[in-house]
Amino acid sequence: MMNSAMQKLGQIIPSEAAPLRNLIVTMTIMCYLACLAIGALVLINRAVDGWTRGLSREVTVQVRQIQKLDMEAELQKAITLLQATSGVIVAEVLPREAGLKLLEPWLGNTNLEELPIPRLIRVTIDENHQPDFVMLDKNLKNTIQGASLDTHRRWEVELTRMAHTLSLLSYVILALICASAIAMVIFAARSVLDANREVVDVLHLVGAKDGYIARQIDRRFMISGLTAGVIGIALSLFTFLGLGLSGNVENNSVAAASYSLLFAPTGAGYWSYSALLVVPIVATGIALLSARLTLMRMLKSTA
Amino acid sequence: MIELQGVGLRYGDGPEILKDVNFRLAQGDMRFLTGPSGAGKSSLLRLLFLALKPSRGHIALFDQDTSVLGRQDISPLRRRIGVVFQDFRLLNHLSTFDNVALPLRVMGQRVDSYRQDVLDLLEWVGLKEQAHAFPEVLSGGEKQRAAIARAVIAKPEILLADEPTGNVDPVLAKRLLHLFLELNRLGTTVFLATHDEALIKQARKPVFRLEAGQLRAA
Repeated sequence: MMNSAMQKLGQIIPSEAAPLRNLIVTMTIMCYLACLAIGALVLINRAVDGWTRGLSREVTVQVRQIQKLDMEAELQKAITLLQATSGVIVAEVLPREAGLKLLEPWLGNTNLEELPIPRLIRVTIDENHQPDFVMLDKNLKNTIQGASLDTHRRWEVELTRMAHTLSLLSYVILALICASAIAMVIFAARSVLDANREVVDVLHLVGAKDGYIARQIDRRFMISGLTAGVIGIALSLFTFLGLGLSGNVENNSVAAASYSLLFAPTGAGYWSYSALLVVPIVATGIALLSARLTLMRMLKSTA
Repeated sequence: MIELQGVGLRYGDGPEILKDVNFRLAQGDMRFLTGPSGAGKSSLLRLLFLALKPSRGHIALFDQDTSVLGRQDISPLRRRIGVVFQDFRLLNHLSTFDNVALPLRVMGQRVDSYRQDVLDLLEWVGLKEQAHAFPEVLSGGEKQRAAIARAVIAKPEILLADEPTGNVDPVLAKRLLHLFLELNRLGTTVFLATHDEALIKQARKPVFRLEAGQLRAA
């Protein structure tokens, strides 16, 4: 019976003398915020990818109405020119109604029929062998009066710039969260060591090395970081799920974005989950390394 | 094994507690250190287990000059020294068994390898029944015996003890003295600070007297 009582050794640094509950709560909040920031980052990257892919596959030719010119003949000339251009897969004239629909939000839907609105030609291009846009624009202008080529590059650049700014902002938020987490762990590690100063003195006097003493404490920080990371990721998944199920996932709402984060097609879905899984791993690493370095530095200053 | 040359010690800007202390103990020596309270006995012991650095002079332990030791060199030396503190310095959150086993545990030994040794030693010092008890419920004498057991469990090459029989009855004091003598007979260098004249007489070992910070052979 005595031997069985000795099977389980007491903790060298008592856990009740080193409570890390507050650290777990604050790190959980940090991990939750980090998951939200990563979710936003994934959505931004996915949106940018979609935009740029769509925009780089298509260009538009606009033909303005010029008096005394037969618009249909001009359009036909443009189609012939486009189809003869290397790198153009399909060129199709959009119905006049399509152009009118584009103007409706600005002009309303009354008397639009009488306006001399430009006609649009949608041109699908080969992404891998794009045509020479400068030459194409020149040829269009020389051959068809009132024609101009819109490669969407200006929109692409604007959208990409905005997306990069948002991405950068997300990275800055993540960096700040990491810095805050490191600071919290450092304070907590100092508190634990201060609270156990007598135990540390005795351990030193019986020949314990600094690394041995630090290991008795930093394991608890590692577990705290992992716990906070797992709870944080779970809370964020519930949040995305809640947002995804709370609105219409068919339109471009926050609900749709949250829904797509969780239920994206296989490849993109794996990417979302892998990005979120980084959070508990990084939280564990931050807790372990920050605590270990702080403890070692403090122990070196003791007797 | 232990050599002090011209050692002086002062705390901060205060007066010198120890003045020109010189002595040498070879392997297997046993000495008592006596003197009035406040003479500097505990400070001298603290110098010997490297908890303090001398203000002047040189201390050599195991033929190593302690003034040139790096921080990483201190732990291996302390593992070769057993210390009985006057205030016991047991860890209140650990059982008597765990306290006694602490030096072996920090050396990385597995509990299976030392469990029986610890229980045997606890039985020898009369604490086997208190193996699972925590220091807070132990009497002063029991704490002292636990502290002695912790100091000797790793079979140190040097044993330093500060008033090791101060809280025990004469019968147990004699029993503990036999433990120290036995360790000494097996090759451990023993240095005991005590006021217990009876103990000194029984042991018949050389004595140093420390008075007003100065050490002389009694």
